[in-house]
Amino acid sequence: MASPTTARNPWPVADVRAASKNYHNVRALIRTDFTVQPGEVRALLGKNGAGKSTMIRLLSGAEVPDAGEVRIDGSLLGSGGIEGARRLGVRTVYQELSLVGSMSIAENMFMGRWPTTRLGIDYKLMELETSKALARLGLTLDPNKAVGELGIADQQLVEIARALRDELKLLILDEPTSSLAAGEVDRVLDVVAQLSAEGVAVIYVSHRLNEIRRVASSASIMRDGEIVDTRSLDDLTTADVVQMMLGDAASESPPVDCAPSPDNPILLSVSGLRVEPKIKNIELELRGGEVVGIAGVLGSGRTEILTALAGVVKPNAGTITIDGQNIAGRGISVALGKGIGITPENRKEDGIFPFLGIDENIVMSDWQAVSSAGVLSMRGIDRAAESQIGRMSIKTDSSHAEIATLSGGNQQKAIIGRWLHADSRVLLLDEPTRGVDVEAKAQIYALVRELAAAGRSIVFVSSEIEELPAVCDRVYILRGGEFVQEVRAPDISSDSLLAAAMAEH
Amino acid sequence: MDTSLSTTQTPPPTPRRRLLPSLSPQNLNVIGLIAGIVILWIVLSATAPHFGTTRNAFSILQSAADVGIIAWAGTLVIVAGEIDISVGPAVAFWSVMLSEMAGPWHFGLPIAIVVTLVGGALVGAFAGWLRAHFGVPSFVVTLGLWLALRGQAEFMTNALPVPLRDNGFMDFIGGTLPGGFPVSAAVMFVLFGVYLFISRRTSFGRSVFAVGGNAKAAILSGIKVARIRVLVFVGTGVLSAVVGIITAGRLTGGNATAASGLEFDVIAAVVVGGTSLAGGRGSMLGTLLGVFFIAIIGNGLILLGINPFFQNVVSGVVIVGAVLINLVLSRRGSKESV
Repeated sequence: MASPTTARNPWPVADVRAASKNYHNVRALIRTDFTVQPGEVRALLGKNGAGKSTMIRLLSGAEVPDAGEVRIDGSLLGSGGIEGARRLGVRTVYQELSLVGSMSIAENMFMGRWPTTRLGIDYKLMELETSKALARLGLTLDPNKAVGELGIADQQLVEIARALRDELKLLILDEPTSSLAAGEVDRVLDVVAQLSAEGVAVIYVSHRLNEIRRVASSASIMRDGEIVDTRSLDDLTTADVVQMMLGDAASESPPVDCAPSPDNPILLSVSGLRVEPKIKNIELELRGGEVVGIAGVLGSGRTEILTALAGVVKPNAGTITIDGQNIAGRGISVALGKGIGITPENRKEDGIFPFLGIDENIVMSDWQAVSSAGVLSMRGIDRAAESQIGRMSIKTDSSHAEIATLSGGNQQKAIIGRWLHADSRVLLLDEPTRGVDVEAKAQIYALVRELAAAGRSIVFVSSEIEELPAVCDRVYILRGGEFVQEVRAPDISSDSLLAAAMAEH
Repeated sequence: MDTSLSTTQTPPPTPRRRLLPSLSPQNLNVIGLIAGIVILWIVLSATAPHFGTTRNAFSILQSAADVGIIAWAGTLVIVAGEIDISVGPAVAFWSVMLSEMAGPWHFGLPIAIVVTLVGGALVGAFAGWLRAHFGVPSFVVTLGLWLALRGQAEFMTNALPVPLRDNGFMDFIGGTLPGGFPVSAAVMFVLFGVYLFISRRTSFGRSVFAVGGNAKAAILSGIKVARIRVLVFVGTGVLSAVVGIITAGRLTGGNATAASGLEFDVIAAVVVGGTSLAGGRGSMLGTLLGVFFIAIIGNGLILLGINPFFQNVVSGVVIVGAVLINLVLSRRGSKESV
C-alpha cells in the first residue's frame, strides 16, 4: 500500500505498523503503515475525518492504537502519553497554540519547568537559553517580550523553538499556516526547511499545495482511515491529490439542477471588500432564491467574509449593499435589521444558549414577534417555536427542553430556525454540517434547498467541499484572499472545486 | 434528496426524557432549600425561645426585606455574569441624601424621594456603562462605588445620623401595616412579583439569561448586549435607593454607616438560591428561598443567644455548606442525565 520513495534508512524516526484505532464503532484508522525518515518533510493530506488527526494523536502519544504499534526512533511508544513521546523527541504544534500570552517568551519556553537557584527562578539562565533556541531558528526576538505582543507567526515559531529545547527528532505541524497572513507563511516555511536540513523529521498537515511543494519532499494522502498512497511530490499533480482525497465520493452527490431564474433581483452585492489580513478583494452578488457556496481551504478567510457581511467585523474597505444601502461596517444590528442572519461555525461556543430551552433559543432573534410592549406571550413563543420545530423536524418531545439535550444536527437546525423566526432573507451558514451525522446532513441540505425555493438567499460555507455541489447553485472559489473562480450548477464538481481551492498561485 | 422535511416522522417521545426536567439541578436546589428551611424552622421552634411567635416571624420578614429587595435585582446582575458589590454603601448613601434633601436642603419630601430613585438609577447606569462600553470588570467598578458612596456619605455627615423631621409617609414606610406586618416586607413581595415577571415574561429578562449564558451568541442573535448590561445595574441602583428610603424611614433619618455588609448578604442569598456566579443560570424563586434561609439562620442565632461575633462564623459555614451541597447534587444530577 504505502511505498515511500525516499531512501530507506534502517531506522525511520516515525514508524507506524499496522495500527488500527476505533472510536465508538467508527473506524478512524484501519491497519495503517506509516514511516518517516530523519530529515524528511512529509505532507499529510486528507479531508475531514480521513484519519489525519488520529494519526497525529498516535504519533504524539495522545492516544494508543487498538492494534498495531508506533515506534519513535526504534523505541516502542507505549502508554507513556504525550510526555513519553516528548522524551523520545516528538513535539506537536497544533493550530491552537499552547502559549500563555501574558507571560514572556522565556517563561513560556520553560513553562512548568522553570529553572531555579536558591534565590528562586533563574531568569538569567532562562533568558540565555531562550536566546540560544531562538537564534537557532534565526529569530531575533527579545526573550522578555510577552508572547501576546507577538504576531501569530512569531508565536508559532516560539512554540517550535520551545520544541527545540529538548532533543527534537519528529516535529508534527498541524495546519501551521492556516491562521497566518500570506507574508508570514514564508517565515514558518523557512524554519521547517532549516530543521529538515538539521535532520529533524517533519510531518506537515496542510492543504495548501503551493506551500507543501516548497517544503515537503513527499506526501501521504489519507482517506477513510487508510493511507491511499505516499508519493514524491515531483510526480504528484493536483488532480492526483484530489482524486486520492475524494475517491469515489467525488461522484456521489448529484449536483443541483434547479438553478434559480437569473431574472431574480440581486438582493445583496459586495464590492471591493477587504478584511485585513486575510481578505483582499471580494466581489459577490447574491440573488433571491439562490444558494451560493464559498470553497476555500482552512484559514482562507471564509469566516471573515461572513462575519463582515453580518456586521460583526468592520471591513477595512469595500461596500456591502442591500436594498440599495451600504451597510459595510455599520454593525450587526443594521445588518440583522436588513434581514441578514448568521449561524456561526462554532455552534457550541458561539451559537447556542446551552441553559435555555429550544423554544427560547429559536425566538431569541426576534422577541418582538412574540411579545407586546416587551411582555412575552407564552402562547406566542410556543407557537413560534413549535412551527420551526415542525418545519425543520427537530427531534424533541418538548420545545421547552434545554437545547443542550439535542444532537448536534438538531441544534444546528434550531439555530437556522432562529433566523427563519426572524424572517431573514439572507442566511449566512458557516459550516452548518460540522459535527453532524449523515442523516442530519442530508436534512440540512434539503432544508437549504427548500428555503431557497421559498425565495431566501443563502451563503453556504463548508470545509467539506464535496457537499457544495449538493446544495449550491453557484460556488465561488476563495484563494489568496480573492474569489479566483466562479462555477455554476450543474458544472460544480467536488474535484474541480478542491483542485481550484488547493491549487498553487 | 428523498428526506422531505415536512413528512419526516418524529419518533415517539421517550419517557426517560420526560423525567429530566423534574430532576434538574435547579429544581433539586429549590426542593433542598425548602427542606432546609422547614428543618430549620422545626429545630429552631423547639430550641430557640420565642422563635415560633408571630412577632418573631414579622421580625424575620423585616430583616429579610432589606436583603431581598436588592437581591431580586442582584439575581439578574449575577445571571448576566456580572457582580454588584456596591449596594450596601449605596443604601447608606441614599438614606443620607434623602434626609439631607428633605431636611437641610428644603427640597420637600416628594421631590427628595424622586431624586433619590432617579439618582439610584443613574449611579447604576453609570456602573453598567463603564462595564458595557469600556469593559471595566463589574467587580472593579462596583468596588470603586463601594468605597466612594460610603466615603461620600460619611464625608457629608461626619458619620453622624441625619435626622428626618416627623413625617407620616416615612413613618409608614419604615413601620408596619395594621397587625404588625412590616411595610418593607410588603414592598419586598410586590417587587418579587415584578422581578419574577421581568425575569420570566419579558424579552429584557430572557435576554439577561442569554447574555449571561453565551454573550457571543447573544451578539450574533442581535441582542443589544451593552444595553442589557447597563439595565441590570440600573436595577440594583434603583432598588438600593428604595432600600435607602426604607432605611431612612425606619431609622427616622439617614445614616452613613447603615447597611454595612448588606452586599455580601445579597450575594450569599443569590448564590445559596442556586444562581451561578458564572452567569446564565438562576431563578428568582431560588433567591427568595435563599433570602429566607439566611434571614432565618440570622434570627435563630440571635434568639439562641449565640455570641454575636460567633454568629458570623456559623453563617459563613452554613452559606458555603449550602452551595457545596447544591454543587454536589447538581453534578450528580448532570451525570445521571448524560
